[in-house]
Amino acid sequence: MPFERDLLALLPRLRRFAQSLARDPADGDDLCQAAIERALKARDQWQAGTRLDSWMYRIMRNCWIDEARARTRRGQTFVAEDAGLGVGNDGHTRTEMAVELGNVGRAMAKLPDEQREVIALVLVEGFAYKEAAEILEIPIGTLTSRLCRGRDALMVHLGEAA
Amino acid sequence: MTIDPEMLMAYADGELDPLSAKRVEKAMAADPALAERVAAHRALRATLAGHFAPVAEQPVPARLAALLDDAVVPIRAAPARRRNWLSAGNLAAMAATLVIGLLAGRMLEPAGPVASRQGSLVAQGSLAQALDTQLASAPPTGAATRIGLTFRDPAGALCRTFEDRALSGIACRAAGEWTLRRTTSGDAAQGAYRQAGSAETMEAAQAMMAGDPLDAAAERAARDGGWR
Repeated sequence: MPFERDLLALLPRLRRFAQSLARDPADGDDLCQAAIERALKARDQWQAGTRLDSWMYRIMRNCWIDEARARTRRGQTFVAEDAGLGVGNDGHTRTEMAVELGNVGRAMAKLPDEQREVIALVLVEGFAYKEAAEILEIPIGTLTSRLCRGRDALMVHLGEAA
Repeated sequence: MTIDPEMLMAYADGELDPLSAKRVEKAMAADPALAERVAAHRALRATLAGHFAPVAEQPVPARLAALLDDAVVPIRAAPARRRNWLSAGNLAAMAATLVIGLLAGRMLEPAGPVASRQGSLVAQGSLAQALDTQLASAPPTGAATRIGLTFRDPAGALCRTFEDRALSGIACRAAGEWTLRRTTSGDAAQGAYRQAGSAETMEAAQAMMAGDPLDAAAERAARDGGWR
Protein backbone atom coordinates (compact mmCIF):
# COMPACT_ATOMS: atom_id res chain seq x y z
CA MET A 1 0.00 0.00 0.00
CA PRO A 2 1.27 3.51 -0.75
CA PHE A 3 1.16 4.60 2.88
CA GLU A 4 3.48 1.81 3.99
CA ARG A 5 5.68 2.30 0.96
CA ASP A 6 6.09 6.00 1.67
CA LEU A 7 6.87 5.34 5.31
CA LEU A 8 9.43 2.76 4.31
CA ALA A 9 11.12 5.34 2.11
CA LEU A 10 11.25 7.71 5.09
CA LEU A 11 12.78 5.13 7.42
CA PRO A 12 16.46 6.01 6.92
CA ARG A 13 15.76 9.65 7.84
CA LEU A 14 13.53 8.65 10.71
CA ARG A 15 16.24 6.42 12.13
CA ARG A 16 18.68 9.29 11.95
CA PHE A 17 16.25 11.56 13.78
CA ALA A 18 15.57 8.88 16.38
CA GLN A 19 19.26 8.42 17.06
CA SER A 20 19.88 12.12 17.46
CA LEU A 21 17.13 12.18 20.12
CA ALA A 22 17.78 8.90 21.88
CA ARG A 23 20.69 7.96 24.07
CA ASP A 24 22.15 5.20 21.93
CA PRO A 25 21.50 3.36 18.65
CA ALA A 26 19.44 0.61 20.29
CA ASP A 27 17.18 3.15 22.01
CA GLY A 28 16.94 4.97 18.70
CA ASP A 29 15.62 1.92 16.90
CA ASP A 30 13.19 1.15 19.72
CA LEU A 31 11.92 4.70 19.39
CA CYS A 32 11.63 4.24 15.64
CA GLN A 33 9.58 1.10 16.15
CA ALA A 34 7.26 2.77 18.63
CA ALA A 35 6.73 5.66 16.21
CA ILE A 36 5.96 3.39 13.25
CA GLU A 37 3.46 1.44 15.30
CA ARG A 38 1.78 4.61 16.46
CA ALA A 39 1.68 5.94 12.90
CA LEU A 40 0.09 2.75 11.59
CA LYS A 41 -2.62 2.96 14.22
CA ALA A 42 -3.19 6.64 13.50
CA ARG A 43 -2.98 6.38 9.72
CA ASP A 44 -6.56 7.54 9.26
CA GLN A 45 -5.54 10.87 10.76
CA TRP A 46 -2.95 11.57 8.13
CA GLN A 47 -4.43 13.73 5.37
CA ALA A 48 -3.33 12.67 1.92
CA GLY A 49 -1.69 15.54 0.09
CA THR A 50 -0.04 16.89 3.25
CA ARG A 51 3.54 16.15 4.15
CA LEU A 52 3.97 12.67 5.50
CA ASP A 53 7.46 13.43 6.78
CA SER A 54 6.36 16.30 9.04
CA TRP A 55 3.50 14.21 10.37
CA MET A 56 5.82 11.29 11.05
CA TYR A 57 8.49 13.43 12.71
CA ARG A 58 5.83 14.82 15.02
CA ILE A 59 4.68 11.35 15.97
CA MET A 60 8.21 10.23 16.66
CA ARG A 61 8.95 13.30 18.72
CA ASN A 62 5.80 12.70 20.80
CA CYS A 63 6.79 9.05 21.33
CA TRP A 64 10.18 10.22 22.52
CA ILE A 65 8.67 12.78 24.91
CA ASP A 66 6.32 10.14 26.33
CA GLU A 67 9.18 7.77 26.92
CA ALA A 68 11.41 10.48 28.41
CA ARG A 69 8.62 11.42 30.80
CA ALA A 70 8.01 7.82 31.77
CA ARG A 71 11.71 7.55 32.49
CA THR A 72 11.66 10.72 34.58
CA ARG A 73 8.74 9.41 36.60
CA ARG A 74 10.58 6.16 37.25
CA GLY A 75 13.61 8.19 38.29
CA GLN A 76 11.51 10.24 40.68
CA THR A 77 10.04 7.14 42.28
CA PHE A 78 13.51 5.82 42.99
CA VAL A 79 14.58 9.13 44.44
CA ALA A 80 11.68 9.00 46.84
CA GLU A 81 12.79 5.58 48.02
CA ASP A 82 16.44 6.42 48.38
CA ALA A 83 15.91 9.96 49.59
CA GLY A 84 19.16 11.77 50.14
CA LEU A 85 21.31 9.55 47.97
CA GLY A 86 21.07 11.85 44.98
CA VAL A 87 20.52 9.16 42.36
CA GLY A 88 18.04 11.21 40.39
CA ASN A 89 19.18 11.23 36.81
CA ASP A 90 20.52 7.68 36.42
CA GLY A 91 24.05 8.96 36.08
CA HIS A 92 25.37 5.44 35.70
CA THR A 93 23.53 4.68 32.47
CA ARG A 94 24.48 8.07 31.16
CA THR A 95 28.17 7.45 31.72
CA GLU A 96 28.01 4.06 30.05
CA MET A 97 26.29 5.33 26.99
CA ALA A 98 28.60 8.32 26.75
CA VAL A 99 31.45 5.97 25.93
CA GLU A 100 29.93 4.86 22.63
CA LEU A 101 28.41 8.15 21.58
CA GLY A 102 31.52 10.13 20.76
CA ASN A 103 31.94 13.82 21.38
CA VAL A 104 28.94 14.97 19.38
CA GLY A 105 26.54 12.45 20.87
CA ARG A 106 27.79 13.27 24.35
CA ALA A 107 27.29 16.97 23.82
CA MET A 108 23.78 16.34 22.45
CA ALA A 109 22.91 14.16 25.45
CA LYS A 110 23.77 17.03 27.79
CA LEU A 111 21.19 19.33 26.22
CA PRO A 112 17.75 19.74 27.77
CA ASP A 113 15.16 17.83 25.73
CA GLU A 114 13.53 21.00 24.44
CA GLN A 115 16.82 22.16 22.95
CA ARG A 116 17.86 18.76 21.68
CA GLU A 117 14.71 18.26 19.62
CA VAL A 118 15.11 21.67 18.02
CA ILE A 119 18.77 21.07 17.21
CA ALA A 120 17.94 17.64 15.79
CA LEU A 121 15.22 18.95 13.49
CA VAL A 122 17.04 22.02 12.20
CA LEU A 123 20.73 21.12 12.22
CA VAL A 124 20.61 17.36 11.68
CA GLU A 125 17.42 16.91 9.67
CA GLY A 126 17.69 20.23 7.85
CA PHE A 127 14.15 21.51 8.40
CA ALA A 128 13.52 25.23 7.96
CA TYR A 129 12.64 27.10 11.17
CA LYS A 130 9.00 27.33 10.16
CA GLU A 131 8.71 23.62 9.38
CA ALA A 132 10.42 22.64 12.62
CA ALA A 133 8.16 24.96 14.65
CA GLU A 134 5.11 23.33 13.04
CA ILE A 135 6.35 19.84 13.84
CA LEU A 136 6.92 20.81 17.46
CA GLU A 137 3.77 22.94 17.64
CA ILE A 138 5.62 25.87 19.15
CA PRO A 139 5.80 29.52 18.06
CA ILE A 140 8.72 30.32 15.79
CA GLY A 141 10.17 32.78 18.32
CA THR A 142 10.34 30.00 20.88
CA LEU A 143 12.03 27.77 18.33
CA THR A 144 14.75 30.30 17.51
CA SER A 145 15.51 31.09 21.13
CA ARG A 146 15.83 27.37 21.96
CA LEU A 147 17.94 26.82 18.88
CA CYS A 148 20.22 29.67 19.84
CA ARG A 149 20.68 28.46 23.42
CA GLY A 150 21.19 24.87 22.30
CA ARG A 151 23.86 25.93 19.84
CA ASP A 152 25.67 28.02 22.42
CA ALA A 153 25.74 25.03 24.76
CA LEU A 154 26.97 22.69 22.03
CA MET A 155 29.72 25.09 21.05
CA VAL A 156 30.86 25.22 24.66
CA HIS A 157 30.79 21.42 25.00
CA LEU A 158 32.52 20.81 21.69
CA GLY A 159 34.90 23.75 21.83
CA GLU A 160 34.42 26.78 19.66
CA ALA A 161 36.39 25.19 16.85
CA ALA A 162 33.83 22.41 16.41
CA MET B 1 23.69 48.99 14.18
CA THR B 2 23.43 45.99 16.48
CA ILE B 3 22.84 42.46 15.28
CA ASP B 4 21.40 40.23 17.97
CA PRO B 5 22.61 36.63 18.33
CA GLU B 6 19.39 35.12 16.97
CA MET B 7 19.52 37.27 13.87
CA LEU B 8 23.11 36.27 13.28
CA MET B 9 22.18 32.62 13.68
CA ALA B 10 19.27 33.00 11.28
CA TYR B 11 21.65 34.56 8.78
CA ALA B 12 24.03 31.63 9.10
CA ASP B 13 21.08 29.29 8.47
CA GLY B 14 19.89 31.19 5.41
CA GLU B 15 16.64 32.10 7.15
CA LEU B 16 16.72 35.87 6.71
CA ASP B 17 14.95 37.87 4.05
CA PRO B 18 17.32 39.58 1.58
CA LEU B 19 17.05 42.99 3.24
CA SER B 20 17.95 41.72 6.72
CA ALA B 21 20.68 39.56 5.24
CA LYS B 22 22.21 42.66 3.68
CA ARG B 23 22.19 44.38 7.07
CA VAL B 24 23.98 41.45 8.66
CA GLU B 25 26.57 41.33 5.88
CA LYS B 26 27.31 45.03 6.35
CA ALA B 27 27.76 44.51 10.07
CA MET B 28 29.98 41.48 9.44
CA ALA B 29 32.22 43.50 7.14
CA ALA B 30 32.73 46.00 9.94
CA ASP B 31 33.15 43.45 12.74
CA PRO B 32 35.23 40.31 12.18
CA ALA B 33 33.88 38.78 15.40
CA LEU B 34 30.44 38.57 13.78
CA ALA B 35 31.85 36.86 10.72
CA GLU B 36 33.63 34.36 12.96
CA ARG B 37 30.40 33.65 14.77
CA VAL B 38 28.61 32.93 11.51
CA ALA B 39 31.41 30.58 10.52
CA ALA B 40 31.12 28.83 13.91
CA HIS B 41 27.37 28.35 13.41
CA ARG B 42 27.94 26.80 10.00
CA ALA B 43 30.76 24.61 11.27
CA LEU B 44 28.54 23.33 14.07
CA ARG B 45 25.81 22.45 11.59
CA ALA B 46 28.33 20.59 9.45
CA THR B 47 29.67 18.72 12.47
CA LEU B 48 26.24 17.60 13.63
CA ALA B 49 24.95 16.70 10.19
CA GLY B 50 28.16 14.81 9.47
CA HIS B 51 28.00 12.91 12.74
CA PHE B 52 24.51 11.57 12.16
CA ALA B 53 24.59 11.26 8.36
CA PRO B 54 25.92 7.67 8.38
CA VAL B 55 22.76 6.49 10.17
CA ALA B 56 20.67 7.36 7.12
CA GLU B 57 23.14 5.50 4.87
CA GLN B 58 22.90 2.25 6.82
CA PRO B 59 20.48 -0.44 5.70
CA VAL B 60 17.27 -0.31 7.74
CA PRO B 61 17.12 -3.14 10.30
CA ALA B 62 14.81 -5.92 9.20
CA ARG B 63 12.62 -5.69 12.29
CA LEU B 64 11.72 -2.10 11.38
CA ALA B 65 11.19 -2.73 7.68
CA ALA B 66 9.02 -5.73 8.56
CA LEU B 67 6.54 -3.43 10.31
CA LEU B 68 5.86 -1.83 6.95
CA ASP B 69 5.84 -4.96 4.86
CA ASP B 70 2.51 -5.33 3.09
CA ALA B 71 2.53 -9.04 3.79
CA VAL B 72 2.45 -8.43 7.53
CA VAL B 73 -0.60 -7.23 9.41
CA PRO B 74 1.10 -4.50 11.36
CA ILE B 75 -1.56 -3.84 13.99
CA ARG B 76 -1.19 -7.42 15.14
CA ALA B 77 2.48 -7.06 15.84
CA ALA B 78 2.07 -3.87 17.77
CA PRO B 79 0.97 -4.85 21.29
CA ALA B 80 3.59 -7.54 21.79
CA ARG B 81 6.45 -5.36 20.63
CA ARG B 82 5.45 -2.29 22.51
CA ARG B 83 6.59 -3.80 25.78
CA ASN B 84 10.08 -3.80 24.43
CA TRP B 85 10.11 -0.06 24.32
CA LEU B 86 8.64 0.41 27.76
CA SER B 87 10.12 -2.57 29.55
CA ALA B 88 12.77 -1.09 31.83
CA GLY B 89 11.85 -0.28 35.40
CA ASN B 90 8.51 -2.06 35.44
CA LEU B 91 8.17 -1.97 39.16
CA ALA B 92 8.52 1.77 39.38
CA ALA B 93 6.19 2.15 36.42
CA MET B 94 3.57 0.16 38.28
CA ALA B 95 3.96 2.43 41.28
CA ALA B 96 3.60 5.44 39.03
CA THR B 97 0.51 3.92 37.43
CA LEU B 98 -1.07 3.53 40.82
CA VAL B 99 -0.57 7.21 41.56
CA ILE B 100 -1.96 8.14 38.17
CA GLY B 101 -4.94 5.86 38.76
CA LEU B 102 -5.71 7.68 41.97
CA LEU B 103 -5.45 11.04 40.23
CA ALA B 104 -7.62 9.92 37.35
CA GLY B 105 -10.20 8.64 39.80
CA ARG B 106 -10.48 12.06 41.32
CA MET B 107 -11.05 13.61 37.91
CA LEU B 108 -14.25 11.70 37.33
CA GLU B 109 -17.19 13.82 38.24
CA PRO B 110 -20.59 14.46 36.72
CA ALA B 111 -20.34 18.22 36.10
CA GLY B 112 -18.95 19.47 32.79
CA PRO B 113 -15.54 21.09 32.38
CA VAL B 114 -16.82 24.65 32.05
CA ALA B 115 -19.02 26.91 34.16
CA SER B 116 -20.36 30.38 33.51
CA ARG B 117 -19.53 32.94 36.18
CA GLN B 118 -20.61 36.57 35.88
CA GLY B 119 -20.55 36.54 32.15
CA SER B 120 -17.26 34.75 31.67
CA LEU B 121 -16.50 31.10 31.24
CA VAL B 122 -14.33 29.43 33.83
CA ALA B 123 -12.84 25.96 33.95
CA GLN B 124 -14.16 23.58 36.55
CA GLY B 125 -13.98 19.89 37.31
CA SER B 126 -11.50 17.85 35.34
CA LEU B 127 -10.37 20.76 33.18
CA ALA B 128 -9.68 22.99 36.20
CA GLN B 129 -7.89 20.07 37.81
CA ALA B 130 -5.68 19.58 34.76
CA LEU B 131 -4.90 23.29 34.54
CA ASP B 132 -4.13 23.42 38.26
CA THR B 133 -1.97 20.37 38.55
CA GLN B 134 -0.68 19.11 35.20
CA LEU B 135 2.76 20.03 33.94
CA ALA B 136 3.36 20.02 30.21
CA SER B 137 6.76 18.62 31.09
CA ALA B 138 5.27 15.66 32.99
CA PRO B 139 1.69 14.84 32.04
CA PRO B 140 0.02 11.85 33.64
CA THR B 141 -0.23 8.89 31.30
CA GLY B 142 -3.54 8.76 29.51
CA ALA B 143 -4.56 12.21 30.69
CA ALA B 144 -7.72 13.40 28.95
CA THR B 145 -6.42 16.95 28.76
CA ARG B 146 -3.12 17.94 27.22
CA ILE B 147 -1.49 21.08 28.52
CA GLY B 148 0.68 22.86 25.96
CA LEU B 149 2.34 26.18 26.66
CA THR B 150 2.29 28.16 29.87
CA PHE B 151 2.99 31.87 29.52
CA ARG B 152 2.23 35.30 30.95
CA ASP B 153 -0.04 37.77 29.19
CA PRO B 154 0.91 41.47 29.08
CA ALA B 155 -1.06 42.06 32.31
CA GLY B 156 1.11 39.45 34.03
CA ALA B 157 -1.57 36.77 34.35
CA LEU B 158 -0.47 33.18 33.82
CA CYS B 159 -2.14 31.51 30.86
CA ARG B 160 -2.04 27.93 29.64
CA THR B 161 -3.07 26.31 26.38
CA PHE B 162 -5.02 23.10 26.72
CA GLU B 163 -6.51 20.48 24.48
CA ASP B 164 -8.85 17.63 25.09
CA ARG B 165 -11.26 15.71 22.94
CA ALA B 166 -14.17 18.07 23.46
CA LEU B 167 -12.55 21.43 23.87
CA SER B 168 -9.27 23.23 23.36
CA GLY B 169 -8.15 26.77 23.95
CA ILE B 170 -6.39 29.12 26.31
CA ALA B 171 -7.20 29.68 29.97
CA CYS B 172 -5.80 32.49 32.10
CA ARG B 173 -5.62 32.78 35.86
CA ALA B 174 -7.87 35.42 37.38
CA ALA B 175 -9.24 35.63 40.91
CA GLY B 176 -8.20 32.10 41.76
CA GLU B 177 -9.92 30.57 38.75
CA TRP B 178 -9.07 29.70 35.16
CA THR B 179 -10.96 32.01 32.84
CA LEU B 180 -11.33 30.72 29.30
CA ARG B 181 -10.02 33.34 26.92
CA ARG B 182 -10.30 31.40 23.73
CA THR B 183 -11.88 28.07 22.97
CA THR B 184 -12.51 25.92 19.98
CA SER B 185 -14.47 22.74 20.14
CA GLY B 186 -12.27 19.70 19.83
CA ASP B 187 -12.91 17.06 17.28
CA ALA B 188 -12.90 13.61 18.77
CA ALA B 189 -12.72 11.95 15.38
CA GLN B 190 -9.49 13.62 14.44
CA GLY B 191 -7.43 12.90 17.52
CA ALA B 192 -4.02 14.07 18.55
CA TYR B 193 -2.23 14.00 15.22
CA ARG B 194 -4.36 16.33 13.22
CA GLN B 195 -2.15 17.76 10.53
CA ALA B 196 -3.19 21.30 11.40
CA GLY B 197 -2.47 20.44 15.03
CA SER B 198 -3.30 23.17 17.45
CA ALA B 199 -1.77 25.72 15.12
CA GLU B 200 -4.57 28.25 15.59
CA THR B 201 -4.35 28.02 19.35
CA MET B 202 -0.57 28.40 19.15
CA GLU B 203 -0.93 31.45 16.99
CA ALA B 204 -3.42 32.99 19.40
CA ALA B 205 -1.09 32.17 22.30
CA GLN B 206 1.81 33.82 20.58
CA ALA B 207 -0.27 36.95 20.05
CA MET B 208 -1.23 37.04 23.75
CA MET B 209 2.21 36.25 25.08
CA ALA B 210 4.51 38.70 26.86
CA GLY B 211 8.03 37.28 26.44
CA ASP B 212 8.86 33.60 26.09
CA PRO B 213 6.71 30.74 27.33
CA LEU B 214 7.73 29.26 30.67
CA ASP B 215 10.26 26.45 30.53
CA ALA B 216 9.78 23.23 32.51
CA ALA B 217 11.35 24.58 35.71
CA ALA B 218 9.42 27.84 35.62
CA GLU B 219 6.21 25.96 34.90
CA ARG B 220 6.73 23.80 37.96
CA ALA B 221 7.59 26.84 40.08
CA ALA B 222 4.45 28.61 38.87
CA ARG B 223 2.31 25.63 39.80
CA ASP B 224 3.94 25.29 43.22
CA GLY B 225 3.36 29.00 43.74
CA GLY B 226 -0.36 28.67 43.06
CA TRP B 227 -0.27 30.18 39.55
CA ARG B 228 0.12 33.74 40.79
